[in-house]
Amino acid sequence: MSDLYLSHVRNWFWKSPPAEWLMRGAREMLIGTLKQGPIPKHVAFEMDGNRRFARNHKIETIEGHHLGFEALARVLEICYKCGVKVVTVYAFSIENFNRPRGEVKGLMAMAKVKLEQLVQHGELLDRYGACIRVLGERDLIPDDVLPFVDRAVEMTKHNKDAVLNICFPYTSRAEMTSAIKATIDEFTSPSRPSKAPFSQTRITQKIRSNHSKRTEPLDAIREASPDAGAKSEADDSMSSTTALDPESPIFQSTTIKPRRFPNAENITADTINSHTYTAECPPLDIFIRTSNVTRLSDFMLWQCHENTHIFFLKCFWPEFDLWHFVPVLLEWQWRQKKLLEKESPRKQ
Amino acid sequence: MSFSARDTQLYRDDEKSGHRKLGPEQREDLVKLKADVVCQNYLPAPSSRQRSNSRVKKRDSSRLGIRKFLKAQFYALLYLIIHAIFSLYIRIRIAYHAVSNRLVAILKHHYNSPEYIARDVAALKKLPRHLSIILTLENGGKGDALEKLVNEVSEVAAWCAAAGIPTLSVYEKTGVLKRYMTQTHRSVCNRLKTWFGKHQVPPLALFARGASTIRPHSRQGLDLILVSEDDGREAMVDLTRVLTEMVQKDKITAQDITMDVIDNELSEAVMREPDLLISFEPYVDLQGYPPWAIRLTEIHCAPDNQGVGYQLFLQALRKYAQATFKLGK
Repeated sequence: MSDLYLSHVRNWFWKSPPAEWLMRGAREMLIGTLKQGPIPKHVAFEMDGNRRFARNHKIETIEGHHLGFEALARVLEICYKCGVKVVTVYAFSIENFNRPRGEVKGLMAMAKVKLEQLVQHGELLDRYGACIRVLGERDLIPDDVLPFVDRAVEMTKHNKDAVLNICFPYTSRAEMTSAIKATIDEFTSPSRPSKAPFSQTRITQKIRSNHSKRTEPLDAIREASPDAGAKSEADDSMSSTTALDPESPIFQSTTIKPRRFPNAENITADTINSHTYTAECPPLDIFIRTSNVTRLSDFMLWQCHENTHIFFLKCFWPEFDLWHFVPVLLEWQWRQKKLLEKESPRKQ
Repeated sequence: MSFSARDTQLYRDDEKSGHRKLGPEQREDLVKLKADVVCQNYLPAPSSRQRSNSRVKKRDSSRLGIRKFLKAQFYALLYLIIHAIFSLYIRIRIAYHAVSNRLVAILKHHYNSPEYIARDVAALKKLPRHLSIILTLENGGKGDALEKLVNEVSEVAAWCAAAGIPTLSVYEKTGVLKRYMTQTHRSVCNRLKTWFGKHQVPPLALFARGASTIRPHSRQGLDLILVSEDDGREAMVDLTRVLTEMVQKDKITAQDITMDVIDNELSEAVMREPDLLISFEPYVDLQGYPPWAIRLTEIHCAPDNQGVGYQLFLQALRKYAQATFKLGK
């Protein structure tokens, strides 16, 4: 018998209807009270410690994950009631595929069942106004889970009040890589000429090409990046020498269709940010990691680099409850107040 | 959640039986209004859109209006009380930490001697290969803020050299030290000299992205890397620009760009992933620290800590020695 089922008397007391009623009231009151202050818009949870909790309580690993899911439901309710707009949870890392196969299978089965149940209660979700997004590498989701993921996302797409981001299978570096790639794609698809303003160079080019079909393509290449840095200019000279070789394939391809690209210098951090999974979400206010591990572990690296308050908590995820969340929220509100006080005299 | 014990039990039984016990309707019943128990409705009130066409709303809005107003007043009062108590608590906590940190710092001072630090570190199972610290330039760089910053950098560099940590990276948001590379190098070298003596001083190499490296003649010393906000998101933007231009010129294809390529470039140009990051701030605030680099970095920050202190450094090393890395397993 595990120690979870010990201490019957205490359990009996807390499970008695009057005690439950009182606790419920206390929770409602606490949440209502905290709502009076500033409320974070975006909170991220790294749900760590399910397995250690299971080990400590001598129950199966997958049981620990099930209890972790209950904790997630609790947390989502608290966040929803407080008025947090976006909650991001780290459900499954790409690295987690390295875990024992049985555990991965169990987790996937759990995800499948939960999403399946979710899909059956679309009406209830609409009542919450909740939208579910699944962030991560779509290709890595097992085939039997994928349809449920798609249906859950599709069904809740129209809701706007609250957003739940489930990171599944996710790592932050993969996210940043894909964001960089998407940015590159955006800037290497030729810009449409219809949108471009009248350009003298284009007109002269056209006239020149009308005069003779053997136009110099190098002008077009130089045009593409007029204000490139010193480093790329050195590269440039190299490429133009190779391009001068009439046999080179680059030369031929450019003669056939001189392409014009958007200027790469226009890329900013916002451009990359708009290609991350959390592009539409407000900036991350609070990052919470449980189980006393003080690492980010490849979660929300891009998002929490600035103005994010990072909290490392000692409790395991299945234990996480309002009583752990309230001190975090209080401290955040307190710091917010301090920051405001610091800023206001500067303005005066 | 405030699910009652009975409902939780029902849910768990269903879970154990492989979700065969409860159908969709029963599950909905589980969360919907129950008349027999004291108003156990777990669901939120239907949204205003749905409710607007029902006549019920009009009738009870006046009565509920007063009740709502009183409730709001009550909550506002409670909010003030809770925050007053919390404020008091946090002030006591800050004072307690300040006094205890000060006491420990006095009792266990390192007396500027490398042997003392080496003895402190000898008991640790492992040391970080690359330590990173976050420092702040106070008052926007006015007064002797810069001097203080250089002093802190030299101090931590000396501790690292004494403890045998080969690489130290210093993050400072504005990057002011990058403008004074030679001066910084000189003052850190001077500090090392006073600690180690003229003949045993470890050679110091100073790196920064966008500034020329200062290298000693002999290797095998301390590598000091200066990092600023420009090396964070901005560096990734720069890399994206370079990659974009390369793709535009058909030197590489977009498919060639993988995580390895980006990782390699960023760790060569900026810095490798640090093993341990110490924040000397009262709470963890990354201030724009390079996002790519801190993937698995152990972050240490003592609550309510003020200023750079040797005890925090030692505490962080101890914690790092105990930490286990599993990488997803």
